Amino acid sequence: MTVPSPGPATTVADDAPDAGAALDVPDARPGRLPGRRHEALYFALRNPKVVGAAVVILGLALLGLVGPLFADHGPNDYAGPTMQPPSGEFWFGTTMFGQDVWVQFVAGLRSTFLVGVLGSVVAGVIGMTIGFVAGFRGGWVDELLTMLTNVVLVIPGFVVLIVINTYLGVRSVPMQALYIGLFSWPWVARAVRAQTFSLRAREFVDLARLSGVPTRTIIVREVAPNMYSYLFMTFVLLFGGAILTAASLDFIGLGPTNAVSLGLMMNQAVQWSALHLGMWWWFVPPGLGITLLVGALYVMNVGLDEVFNPKLREM
Amino acid sequence: MRTYLARKATLYVLTFLVAVTLNWLIPRLMPGDPVQRMISRAGVQHPESIGPMVEYYEQLFGLDLPVWQQYLNYWGSLLRGDLGVSIWLFPSPVEDVILRAVPYTLGLMLPAILLSWVVGNWMGAAAARRKALDNTVLPASYLLTATPYMWLAILLVWGLGVVAGWFPVAGGYDFGRRPTMSVAFVLDVLHHWFLPFLSLFLVSLGGWAIGMRNLIIYELESDYANYLAALGAPQRLIRRYAFRNGLLPQITGLALQLGTVIGGALVTEVVFAYPGLGYLILQAVQNADYFLLQGALLFVVVGVLVANFVIDLVYVVVDPRTRTGLQGANA
Amino acid sequence: MNLPRRRWPLVAATAAAALTLAACSGDPIDAPEESPDVEGLAEARSLVSEYPREETVFTSGAQWGPPSSWNPIPQSGEATGVRGLLYEPLFSFDPATLELEPWLAEGGEWTDADTYVLTLRDGLTWQDGEVLDAEDVVFTVELGKVPDVRWSNLWTWLSSATATDATTVTFEFSDPRYQEWDNFLYTSSVLPQHIVSTWAETDYNSNANEDPIGSGAFRYSTHGQDRMVWERNDDWWGTEALGLEFPMKYVVDIVNPSNEVALGLLLQGGLDLSNNFLPGVQTLADSDKLGTYFDEAPYMLSANTAVLVPNATRAPMDDAEFRRAMAFAIDVDKIVANAYGGIVQKAHPTGLLPAYSSLYDEDVVDEHGFEYDTDEAASILAAAGYEDTDGDGFVETPAGEKIELDLIVPAGWTDWMESARVIAEDLQAAGIDVTADFPDSGAVDDARSSGDFDLLINNWAGLSNTPWTYYNYLFHQPVRDLQLVGNFGRAPDAGAWALVEQLSRTASDSPEYAQIMGELQEISLTQMPMIPLWYNGLWAQYNTSTWENWPTDGGDSTAYPSTWGGFWQMGGLRTLAALQPAG
Repeated sequence: MTVPSPGPATTVADDAPDAGAALDVPDARPGRLPGRRHEALYFALRNPKVVGAAVVILGLALLGLVGPLFADHGPNDYAGPTMQPPSGEFWFGTTMFGQDVWVQFVAGLRSTFLVGVLGSVVAGVIGMTIGFVAGFRGGWVDELLTMLTNVVLVIPGFVVLIVINTYLGVRSVPMQALYIGLFSWPWVARAVRAQTFSLRAREFVDLARLSGVPTRTIIVREVAPNMYSYLFMTFVLLFGGAILTAASLDFIGLGPTNAVSLGLMMNQAVQWSALHLGMWWWFVPPGLGITLLVGALYVMNVGLDEVFNPKLREM
Repeated sequence: MRTYLARKATLYVLTFLVAVTLNWLIPRLMPGDPVQRMISRAGVQHPESIGPMVEYYEQLFGLDLPVWQQYLNYWGSLLRGDLGVSIWLFPSPVEDVILRAVPYTLGLMLPAILLSWVVGNWMGAAAARRKALDNTVLPASYLLTATPYMWLAILLVWGLGVVAGWFPVAGGYDFGRRPTMSVAFVLDVLHHWFLPFLSLFLVSLGGWAIGMRNLIIYELESDYANYLAALGAPQRLIRRYAFRNGLLPQITGLALQLGTVIGGALVTEVVFAYPGLGYLILQAVQNADYFLLQGALLFVVVGVLVANFVIDLVYVVVDPRTRTGLQGANA
Repeated sequence: MNLPRRRWPLVAATAAAALTLAACSGDPIDAPEESPDVEGLAEARSLVSEYPREETVFTSGAQWGPPSSWNPIPQSGEATGVRGLLYEPLFSFDPATLELEPWLAEGGEWTDADTYVLTLRDGLTWQDGEVLDAEDVVFTVELGKVPDVRWSNLWTWLSSATATDATTVTFEFSDPRYQEWDNFLYTSSVLPQHIVSTWAETDYNSNANEDPIGSGAFRYSTHGQDRMVWERNDDWWGTEALGLEFPMKYVVDIVNPSNEVALGLLLQGGLDLSNNFLPGVQTLADSDKLGTYFDEAPYMLSANTAVLVPNATRAPMDDAEFRRAMAFAIDVDKIVANAYGGIVQKAHPTGLLPAYSSLYDEDVVDEHGFEYDTDEAASILAAAGYEDTDGDGFVETPAGEKIELDLIVPAGWTDWMESARVIAEDLQAAGIDVTADFPDSGAVDDARSSGDFDLLINNWAGLSNTPWTYYNYLFHQPVRDLQLVGNFGRAPDAGAWALVEQLSRTASDSPEYAQIMGELQEISLTQMPMIPLWYNGLWAQYNTSTWENWPTDGGDSTAYPSTWGGFWQMGGLRTLAALQPAG
């Protein structure tokens, strides 16, 4: 275990067909009609977990978007005296070089969101495509894709990320997100494959097939809608996972070289002995920011789970 | 059944070949010529002496051969159990360097993973049972899972190590001690081991608890549970069945985790300066040590493959649905 | 090639046993057998279960990986203390006086221009009881006849080394290079012929030399993944001959996990001397939590010069005026204050370390020196024809081409990264478009040796007995495909190289010496092949709770307090010998 797993989902990833149920997402049910999605929205807006988490996430996003605009100096500028504890002038204090921790924090939030969004989209798209195709086509296609998935899963992703980062050099946050995405899709592929697998066997798909509907149409019309909720939640988990992976990479000094991020802040704080010099204001905010954001994502996931899966609502 | 196993075995052999080849390839893609680095590290002042030294080391590491031959030699020596000579820790053999780090990593990871699995599952099951517990365990679990691991570790070092001074902040055992089989030494090792262990234990605890809780709840919704309830079976019995069924995927997860154990907890070892395998991998990358990196990656890959293979076998034995499912895949 | 397999260190195995107990691991790890050592020694060792704190000095800062070699021949990669505590050179060197002091040698002199006669002390012994005599010295020097031995270059200007009697060696030179010879005398360790002569010729660099036998004040005791332990040699020849007595029974050098961990250990009293770069140490020194050499800025002695290297094969860095303009544009004081918190010192315009301050040619500096002055930089640029013709705020070459330069420093070298950001900003303020970039350190190595870069920072010009090493670094010729020792900017020879060669052949007390030095300083300032920035410190911080009388400016002990490779004979040994138990 080199990095904390992206959410609880990775603790279960297997190509046994029913393993998908182990994910904390609902079994996709036949007969859910498009009209039910309005119902989902209705419940989502009344679910305190979803609403609360959304407020936290949007609030942090807003801070990341707007915060840097109000700063009168850059995150790496020497803005004031060195090693100052939080004060009215420097809300989060200053670093060893006199940089404003608050400005670094809001700028770091920006990178964190960027990594989350890009990383989860890359991983999600690859994972879902491979999972769908493997699960739906079966046969040698499945065999081949499963092998590919297994190879990527077996190669220690975090280590490869380290090597790639060193080799290609990570200059920018999008680059980092791309690399992370390229190595975090296997569990999505496995889970989606398993889901598709079980859906494909259900009666309504067979019915469609019997009535001569082309494969693609079956996927788009019958299989995919039944997995929308599932896919949405996968993205939420990937989003959090990408953020945590990026923070780990940044922390061991392999983050983007020309950017500010929350992980890099922690890396710097530790490298410059903030722990031993008692400069807690340097390493507490970035970690807290990530915890809040990822925590909110996970809580949202639970909330959505309840929304999509009515039985849980009764719990 | 037999064809299933044969197919699986082929798959694993193929994966192994690909992974080992990548292992060989990856370090060679890294920038920086290791021999050059060795020589510049020596601070040689006379370029006249550099030529012969470069030649000497390239020959020593077999880097003067054509690439295809390096690749074949790699397989050759791999099959002989020879992983080469470390460049960073020249002239130590790679297998020695790795074997020295492995005990620290295993000693840290195995207890952390096993204990957090046991405790996490127990907590998850308890949470699924009582609403009140659910309302405390679940948020706490999500908080732990969402915490960036290194932050948790930093806070532990800072709070319990630096500020309170209860635990040492670095190393495998006290630098003033000689390793002997004495009570004092063992206590000292445990003292150093505790914080890194605690951080790993805490960070994976939440995931297991959430997983177990959700699994049980899904099981409780399943048809057999409803059927049992309709028959008037006691709630305790139904829950026990649910727990058992829920345990299966959790075992899979545990096996996967144990497979990655050998890779070490890189970030942990960095924060706590714990002399394990993960730290070695990072150093190998930073010092362009091809051979050490290759060797360490090999350990990791073999670990994961073995774990996966064991899971496959266990599933065939434990869960008959697997077999039918896989046949279905070929239909 | 024959690489001996090291036995499993006890360290890891016992820890494993202790830990796997708790881990209920399926496969127990076999405890290794202690290999038979010198009679009785193993037994004596196993009696010690911990190192008594009051008899042990803990150091760190030199060793970044588990000790793996005790072979002094490659002069790199060996465990901390191998060259100094265990093996000894003929002379030691005092950076304060720039003088060599006899160590194994009793003395040495040039009997004529081409002949050097070295006299060894009487009664020198190796730790196994064998006599250390002139034959060992001749053997060591002649090892350089093997091409891949590091000092093989010696034999291009040395013609013979002969043991005239047991304590006298006569060296005949074909081309006496006095400065380089002095350098050899204190940097190279004398090797035991009776041991090393049994090694295969191909093994000289790769033999790990386990259980090493030296002549020094400390014996190899043991080592672990994370430490190297030395035990005092009570039969050391130097106790009497040098009058040096080491008060500590053990020296334990700790493998650095990282600088901040070293700081933690140092503050907790687990370390006595840290030679790590510890940012923020100025605040701790000011509040007397730690000791440093100076009690105010710069706190540290200077160990080497950090320079900005422009690639002279690329326009516009091929123009000496452009390079000079850059020198004026950089505010080194800001780097010293912010990136370093005042623990380094701004470099003298010549770049020569403070240890050579007696050699500074102030007239030359007055005429050609530089200081931070953005306007002056701009006017030098304008005078040389660099103007902002397209109005983007940055100058173009006289030919009207855009100038866009990258300044590279290795990712993760945080102090240099901070400094590079400041430099890029300053250069931009002067109208030169420079961006700081942080590739992997391997990529920086490649770029530097192959000449594929615009600007980079380097600091390989370290302290030695002679400024020749600095000028050899600055001006080295000829330029090769791979530049590994100096002149990374590949500047063509502007008349300096002949002077550098001449300097090496000139004795320090010769009247020509100062004159050559003056000429070299002038060329370095007018040609500016590299731009001196600041002096990296000889990082050293002390915890005085167990040991006191650490070297301080004007104190009882003033030795250079370092355990780094090559520094033991420049002050590290004297630092340890001067210590006294606290309280």
